Order: sequence, then structure tokens, then C-alpha cells
Amino acid sequence: MTDTLSEHADPGLHSGEPLIEMKDVGKTYGAIRALKGINLTVRAGEVTCVLGDNGAGKSTLIKIMAGLHPHNEGTMKVDGKEVSFGSPRESLDHGIATVYQDLAVVSLMEVWRNFFLGSELTSGKGPFATLRIADMKRIADEELRKMGVVVKDINQPIGTLSGGQRQCVAIARAVYFGARVLILDEPTAALGVKQSGVVLKYTAAARDAGLGVVFITHNPHHAYLVGNHFVILKLGQAVLDKKRADVGLDELTRQMAGGDELTELSHELQK
Amino acid sequence: MSQTTTTPPSAPAEASNRVTLGWSNRLLARPEVGALVAAIVIFIFFLVVAPAFRSPASFFTVLYQSSTIGIVAVAVGMLMIGGEFDLSAGVIVTTAGLVNAMFCYQLGINLIVGAVLSLVFSLLIGFLNGYLVVRTGIPSFLITLGTFFVLQGANLGVTKLVTGSVSTPNINQMAGYGTLDAIFASSFKIGSVTVEITVIWWFLFVALSAFILQRTRIGNWIYAVGGNADSARAVGVPVKAVKIGLFMTVSFLGWFIGMHTLYKFDTLQAGNGIGNEFLYIIAAVVGGTLLTGGFGNAIGVAIGAFIFGMTSLCIVYAGWDPNWFRAFLGVMLLLAVMVNLYVKRLSTARKVG
Amino acid sequence: MTPTRTRRSLTVVAGLATAAALALAACSGGGAPATSSTGGGGGGGAGDNSGYTFAMVTHETPGDTFWDKIKAGAQQAAKNNGITLKYSNDPDPAKQATLIQNAVDSKVDGIATTLATPDALAGAVKSANDAGIPVVAFNSGIDQYQKVGAKMYFGSDETLAGTTAGKRIAAAGGKKALCVIQASGSVALEARCAGVKAGLPATENIQVNGADDPSVVSALQAKLAQDSSIDYIVTLGAPIALDALKAMDAASSKAKLVTFDLNVDAAQAIKDKKIEFSIDQQPYVQGYLAIQALYLNKKNGNDIGGGKAVLTGPSFVDSSNIDQILPFAKNNTR
Repeated sequence: MTDTLSEHADPGLHSGEPLIEMKDVGKTYGAIRALKGINLTVRAGEVTCVLGDNGAGKSTLIKIMAGLHPHNEGTMKVDGKEVSFGSPRESLDHGIATVYQDLAVVSLMEVWRNFFLGSELTSGKGPFATLRIADMKRIADEELRKMGVVVKDINQPIGTLSGGQRQCVAIARAVYFGARVLILDEPTAALGVKQSGVVLKYTAAARDAGLGVVFITHNPHHAYLVGNHFVILKLGQAVLDKKRADVGLDELTRQMAGGDELTELSHELQK
Repeated sequence: MSQTTTTPPSAPAEASNRVTLGWSNRLLARPEVGALVAAIVIFIFFLVVAPAFRSPASFFTVLYQSSTIGIVAVAVGMLMIGGEFDLSAGVIVTTAGLVNAMFCYQLGINLIVGAVLSLVFSLLIGFLNGYLVVRTGIPSFLITLGTFFVLQGANLGVTKLVTGSVSTPNINQMAGYGTLDAIFASSFKIGSVTVEITVIWWFLFVALSAFILQRTRIGNWIYAVGGNADSARAVGVPVKAVKIGLFMTVSFLGWFIGMHTLYKFDTLQAGNGIGNEFLYIIAAVVGGTLLTGGFGNAIGVAIGAFIFGMTSLCIVYAGWDPNWFRAFLGVMLLLAVMVNLYVKRLSTARKVG
Repeated sequence: MTPTRTRRSLTVVAGLATAAALALAACSGGGAPATSSTGGGGGGGAGDNSGYTFAMVTHETPGDTFWDKIKAGAQQAAKNNGITLKYSNDPDPAKQATLIQNAVDSKVDGIATTLATPDALAGAVKSANDAGIPVVAFNSGIDQYQKVGAKMYFGSDETLAGTTAGKRIAAAGGKKALCVIQASGSVALEARCAGVKAGLPATENIQVNGADDPSVVSALQAKLAQDSSIDYIVTLGAPIALDALKAMDAASSKAKLVTFDLNVDAAQAIKDKKIEFSIDQQPYVQGYLAIQALYLNKKNGNDIGGGKAVLTGPSFVDSSNIDQILPFAKNNTR
């Protein structure tokens, strides 16, 4: 499956090269401060894990990068150029694809339509150009099979797939359409162990293909399996920002939980 | 979930694991199937009980009746697939005709100019509906209920103000009448059968709508916007533009039927058209459109309109008391909704394999 | 559909909107003089400057040209006698009762009301009587107006009108009539058809949706195809008569058409001999007399009708008198 990913990944990506650089980025909604002083660099070929409890500011951070809400403090650079996204489309055009936990796909639509949604293949131009349906079905089927996502029928509504499969289709779609940065919003939150494993494998595959991955989660174990760099948010600010070499799973877990009582819990859980 | 193999697949080994769904499931997953079965059953039923229905002429009368509802229902169906409602669709028909008739009559202007102006005006109403819905996030049910009342009142008030009466003057002597009558309200003979031109238009609009929904990216977007607007937006679908476009489509086809009514009857009563918005919605729902959006198709909506037209007239052909028609319509609607629910469950149920 | 594209289409639409607004403004500016003189008749007379305020309350459903004529008649009477006329309407009986009560509360000098639903309005009429405000009834409620407490009644007897029409059809050789009811649940319309049936026993009723002309046409077309023995169609309103003409045309029916009430197009159709005759209840007269009678009652203590209903119809309009009536129809007074 790594073959497939590298096939579509931008050949211009060099591991370690910064793709998104955030400097002192903050966001206020009226009088409410959701995010403050965030410094974050997303590098090609690395997984940047953003951890935090509910309400820590994770989703605000995603929204800024995904173009749903522009930031109003600090600067964000993509490929060295300063940007402020006004719509998801702008973000997509910069090669930033976001896969949301619960709204990744349109469940009543067929798998292949979901795969190509927003980037349909058409013959000709203009609003009435016909879709190349046969091509789209074939490509979606091939791509998914190459990545090991096997659906019974490419024509079935995507809602009939399992949660893990849906996430994988969404990730495969993002990669196929040449995403350089992949933002994964809690991709494993609603999944069982086995399905989480599948999703984590794709995350690693995307990283190895040279993409910059932002992995949002509140599960330090999942983060530690794939992450190169870890940021923990608390009340809209970064409380930890370390490379993998400088931090262990224990510290991550403790920081996430915010104290010793959770150390106990983790002991209990490890029994 | 058991299909999600954890090893990178090599194609031949996987082939046995990949099956297509059984034909019965795939057939039932199509929105129009329930309506088609119902249409055939009702058709045969009335062929048996209503001797007067057994003639080509009667069949084309039914098609005409269906087309006057069906044309607007095409757009209402698309709008509902896109996840929105339009309760003003019935009065827009009358508004369109009134604007055309009064503007031209009072100023003595060629009717074609008035028809174009009326089109622009109708599209503007559709745009306004759509814009308010996407801008405020207030449910379209409420926004268009507001437009419905505004238009209903304005239809009467403005007409009364301009003509001194609540109906428009007869326009059949004015310049441009012939052309517009030919486009919107003419009929022609095939053998002994009179075919109203709206029937042809209806078929064309249904075909166009089916094409757009199934074969173009806009169609893909309409389903996505109705099925899950947030994820559609996240992958770059211009959700707001699609929704506004759908509302404008409704007002466009409303205008079309408004033109038909005006040029067929030459005058319009300002209070007309009220209540038809529900018929459009019923046609769409009976035709398999999901009330919550994201599911349905143009053929289904056309069948829904046909069932409506057939039922309303066949009760007359059968010589029954037409007072019962509405009750019958209600039963049809309830049955359709239940069939839809069943079909949807069947087709989207997780296949465990 | 990139954002720029959307914005451009917005501008286009906005431009069109301005054009539409301009055109509308032009329309009302140019259109007013042609038809503003709906008062008709001899509006020139100076009359009495009585200063009374009368309220007229009806069960009008907005959008029916019939009521324009009632109002035109009432306005003419008001104008002639220097009366301030307050018109209000609501098809819902409870709301109509409230409107009457409003008139009582605002201490008008007299009330003219329709009594389509006498039982629902009896309370409001009584409170008017208690307040010493005279009430006259018109248009509907011929059987109950005295019981409810109205002093006089001006209107048509629907059953009588229907019966007369039925007899006239029978006399002209009609065998089977189709009576077209355009609104469900209306006592007055049902009474008309019942009257027609009394005059011509082979009469069948059909219910249509009067708010949707195309559906009226196809329903009548279907009925004519189903029953070829129908040789007379009776419609209960002028717009429906015009729909019936379309249906008869489409079904190549040889049936003859009779209608209740009049409008310009129906009057023209009578002149063109497409409609045999119209049973007119003369709504203009109803509105006019109701206000005039209130005036006379206040001014001079008069009571019109000798304790009985004053009938404004049925008045027949056919090819023999249409030439005289057509100009009045065009003037919205007949």
C-alpha cells in the first residue's frame, strides 16, 4: 500500500521540509479565546500529533488549517507563504486535506461517488459536462483495493461500510487527490481496536510516502504509535511541544491526563 | 468489517471476497421502485373499475394533469434531495403569471418582454429564498413559509391595486400572445389524441433533471449537500451556491407553469396556486424522495406526479365522488413514506458477510 | 463553482433585481389611471354628507372577483351618502365574529354582515344589538337572519336560484346536468346545486379545486369523457365557467354551459353565445343596498322588505340582455 501512496504523493515533497508553519496563532470568537500563541510546524514525512482533552482547542486548530474559520492572531505560512483561508476550498487548493471523524463521508451516496466528491472527473467543461462514471468507478475500486480497503461493491452506499472502512476511504481519497498535508481529526475515536489498527497503518503509510500528517487525538497510545512530534493543548495553549526522541509514552499519558492520579490508572490498565 | 483485510491484498486471492449485491437488493435500493409498483397497481386497478379511462384520449388527459404538477415537482424533488423545502412553490406560479399579465397590460408592452421580466422576478424570489436559508441557517420550511405568506398577500394586494380587481385582465389580444401561447400552452393532435405541450415539456424537464442528478458533478453535489452538508463542504463542494441554485430552479419551473396557466386561461385570479406546494412535495415523496434529503431521483418524482394525476382524474373516470380524492391522496402519501422507510432500511443495512 | 464565480452570479442577480424593481415602479405608475374608477355608476352626485361610520364584515376568502363587486356597490352607497365605510373580512367564522365585535367596540353607527355561518355569528350580532347598533345581513343567511337578530336581508335565495336554473335547463330540453362545485364544504354552493337538482332531477355534482385552473379543466374533461350523456354543465362561479369552456373544447363535448355569477370574460362568452345564460345574484346591489338601508334606518328609521328578505336575484343574463349588461360587467359593477 505504500507503493500506492507514493505513486500519488507529490514527488516534490522532501522529508523534513516544513509544509505548514504556525507562529503565535490565536483565535477568538467574540469575547471567547479559543486558541492562543500556538507555534506548530507540520513537516513532510512526519506525523505531528496534537493531543488534548475535549475543549482544549484541537478542533479550532483544525478549523484554521482546514479553512472553516480563519485565525485572527499570528501568522500561518504554507510552503513559506503567508495565508489565511476563507473557505475549505482554498485550503484544499493548497494541498491540505482534512478527514473529519464523523463527517468524512455522505453515507447515502455510493462509495465511488464519495471517493470523487468535490473532485469529480468530467469529460468537457461547464456545469453540464458528463461525469466519467465508468472511469471513476474503476479508479475508486482500484485505489481502494491497492490500499487494502475491500468493499463488496463499489456501488453500495458508503453508509453500509464499517466506521474504519469509511475513514480509510476518506484518507485514500485525500491522498489520491494529491494532498500534501493530511489532517486527521480523531480518526480512531469511534473505532474498535482492530479498525483503529487499520487506520493507524494508513496514517503511517501516508507519512512514509512523504506527506505531512496532523493527527488529532486524545489517545496518547495511538499517537505514540505513529507520531514524530507531539503537541499537547490545554485550554487553548500548548503545554507540551516535543519531538519523539525527547518524550516517552508515559510522559505523554501523564501530561494528557494532567497528573498522578492518572499514572495510577495507567498502571491499573497495564496490569 | 471482516472485509477489511489487514494484509495488503494480492488481487486474485481477493476476488472471491468481492461480490456484487444481489439484483433484488440493488433494485429495491432505487428510490423510484416503490412508486413504480404503486403506479402500475393503481393503473391496472383503474383500468378495471373505470371504463372511461380505457382510451388514449383519457390517458393523455391524465398526462396533462400530471404535467402541470409534475413540472414544478421536478424542481421541488431536486430541492428536497438537496435537503431543503419550498412552501412558496405554489404561489410563485401565480406571482409569475400576475407579473407578466399586469406589467404588460398596464403599460401596453409586448408580452414577451413581460415574460422575461417575470422570469427574472421569479428567479429573484428563488434566490432570496435560498440566500436567506444559507445565510441565516433558519430551516427552509420557515423561510419559505414566510415567502409563501408574503407572496400570497402581495399577489392579492398588488393585483387589486393595479387592476382594481383580484383577477388580471384578459391578455389574449396583446402583442406576443401567439408566440408565448405556442411555447407554453399549445396542444397538437396525434391521430385522435390531443397532446398538451406541457406533457412534452414535462418529459424534457424530467430527462434533464435525471441527467443532471445522475451524470453531472452538480448532481453529485446536490446529493452530497442533502446527504451531509458538512462533509460536502469539507471536500470543497460549494454548498451555499448549490442550495441557492436549487431554490432558483424551483422558481424557474414555477415560472414555467405560471406562464402555462396564464397563456392557457388568458386571465389569472390572484388567489390561485395556494395549496399546490403540498402536491409538489407529495409527488416528490411518493416518488421516493427522502424528506431529510440526500436520496431520490427525477424518474421517481415523475412517477409520483403521474400517480397524483392518475388518481385525481380516475376517481372521476370511475364516476366516484371526487370528495374522496384528498383522503385517497393522504393514504397514498402515508403508504409511500412507509415504503420509503422500508426500502431505505433494506438498502442501507450493514451487510454482514 | 469557485467562490469568485458565485460572487459574479450574485452581482448579476442583484442587477436583475434592480431592473425588476424599476419595471414594477414604472408599472404601477403607468397603470393606475386606466382602471381606478371602479366606483362606476353616477359617482358625481353630491348626496348627503351624513358623517356616519358603517362597518361591513364578510366571509370573503381573498382572491375572488365576486367580492370586488360587493365592495364596489358598498363604496358607491357610502360615497353617495357621505359615509365612512370600514371593510373587513375573514373566511373563518370565529374570526369573522371577532371582526363584528371589533366594529361594536369601535362604536360604529351600523354594521352590515354576511351570515354564511349564522350560529357562529349570533353572539357578535347580539352584542351589536345590545349596544344599540343596527345590523343588516346580506349575501348569505336568508333563512336565519331574523333569528340571529339582523334587521333586514339583501341577497339571493341560493336554492331558489338553483331551482329556477334547473327548470330553465329542463324547459330548454336539457336531459342531464353536471353541477361543478369549486370549493368543498360551502353551504351556499351545495344549496345551488341542490336547487338545480330540484329543477332538473338528473343532475350530478362534481367537486373541483377552484384554486387551480389546470386541474379544473382536466377534471371536467375527464368527467365529460366518462359520462357522454351530460348535455348541460352548471358552474357556480364565472372563472370556473371559463375553465369549463376549455374542458368542453378539449373533450369535443356538445354540452351547453350555464353559470352562476358574472365577470367580464363570462359576459363576453354570453355575448358570443358560448354560455347559454348566467344566474346573477347582483352582488353590486347587495353591497349597495346593505349600506343604503343602514343609512335610511339611521337617518329616517326606515325598514326595507316588509319584514321579509329583499331578493337581489336570481337575475338572468342571456343573449337577450347581454348588450345592455356587458359595459357594466367591464366596469366591475355587474
